[in-house]
Amino acid sequence: MSTTEDTELVARCRKGDDDAWRALVDRFGPRVYAIAYHFTLRREDAEELSQEIFLKVFENFDRYDGGFPLVAWILSVSRNLCIDRYRRRKREKSFRFVSDDAVAPLLKSEDDPSSLALKSERTRLLFSALAEIPEDLAEILVLRDLNGLSYEEVGRILEVPEGTVKSRLFRARAEVARKVRERHEKKSAPSALASVAVAAAGFV
Amino acid sequence: MSCRELERLFVAGAAEAQIAAHRAGCSECDRAGREVDEAASWTHDLKAPLWSPALRASLLEIPRLTVSCEGADALLARAVEGEVAASDQSRLEKHLSRCAACTEAAGTLFAMRDLTAPVPPPWLATRLAAARPPARTASWRRIFSGRAVVAYAYAAAMAVMLLGLNPTAVARKAGFARLSESTRVAVTVAQNSIGDRLGALQERAFRELEVWKGRVTGYGRAAVSNALAIVWRPEKKGSTRPRLGKEGGTGAPSDEFLAADLFRRELLTLRFRV
Repeated sequence: MSTTEDTELVARCRKGDDDAWRALVDRFGPRVYAIAYHFTLRREDAEELSQEIFLKVFENFDRYDGGFPLVAWILSVSRNLCIDRYRRRKREKSFRFVSDDAVAPLLKSEDDPSSLALKSERTRLLFSALAEIPEDLAEILVLRDLNGLSYEEVGRILEVPEGTVKSRLFRARAEVARKVRERHEKKSAPSALASVAVAAAGFV
Repeated sequence: MSCRELERLFVAGAAEAQIAAHRAGCSECDRAGREVDEAASWTHDLKAPLWSPALRASLLEIPRLTVSCEGADALLARAVEGEVAASDQSRLEKHLSRCAACTEAAGTLFAMRDLTAPVPPPWLATRLAAARPPARTASWRRIFSGRAVVAYAYAAAMAVMLLGLNPTAVARKAGFARLSESTRVAVTVAQNSIGDRLGALQERAFRELEVWKGRVTGYGRAAVSNALAIVWRPEKKGSTRPRLGKEGGTGAPSDEFLAADLFRRELLTLRFRV
């Protein structure tokens, strides 16, 4: 949808057109909820955050000038809400040790059980690593890799040039990979120690 | 990672072949590239979480829960007058609970409404009464007042003198011969009092025609201005203007004052006769 159509949609919403508001909610609701879920990893929190975002969007329609795509504007308006919620959630211990339930809504159900278990483990590692990297890197990964926004849209949301978006995205991926490797090495270390201990016991 | 070439190529949007060529020659970048690719692939396998119908229903209700900032302005203007419906009131309250800028605007508006009138200090009424301007005299009365008549005569005498004529003779010819001797004296005094200035001018006027015209115009304007000032100057109670025979406390009044006084009295008498 072009920005002209976006502008018309917003203008109708400002006039109190219920159909226009319904169209806007149906068009952007799923994406906003997905982003909210990626920031919170809890259904209740994501729903609450989505409501906050749409409330803010509705209250600030007069600020939309059609300068860039509506989705980018919606996310830029609600960026602080997402970051606040993300920081609050980050302080909780459960955020760093992501549960299977938290990642279950993100997995495709057509996978076979063994593959599903592997993906679940990988996804838990991914979000645990996301919680450990700097938030400016984490939000770029959420917006670009998890939600498929274009470099231009991400740049508009974060108010940075596209080159900066790409650079941060590269570093975010590298950081996540490093964190995952570290976690993997930590996990395998005790088993290695255990095998050494067993061997030692057998020797004795 | 010491080699930043892979990141540079990625940021620059380099072609896959160019990136692959660098990775083939740089083991450090190749390992980092594999990790980055793997991390990216993990995210690509995921699906978007589904939103619930309940969430959609609650989002559709938002226009009935709150108002925009521009809508809040209109509602606030009505709220100050107490003319907001209950449903609008709750929407406004919801908005104000979330918007600091509108809350501040509302606070200012309601504070203005609640302001009480300041109590005037006790001395203000007295000062205002004292400062009341004097009642103005009606225009037609000012035009025919005694002071005005004096001014008219004064201006007429000057006009006659400017023409190089004798005011007394002109007055006689014009039918003002009934004026007493005091009138003649008064006119003479008037002539003398201004004659100091006009006399020299009159003499030069015959010699230098252009200069004469200019001076005449200047003095004429001054004379008219003086006459008007006399007519339009507001009356003042308890004026400190020196009165005839009492100015400066120098003793006996001067001849000029006496003559002017006589002239004025005669003119007043004349006016009353007419």
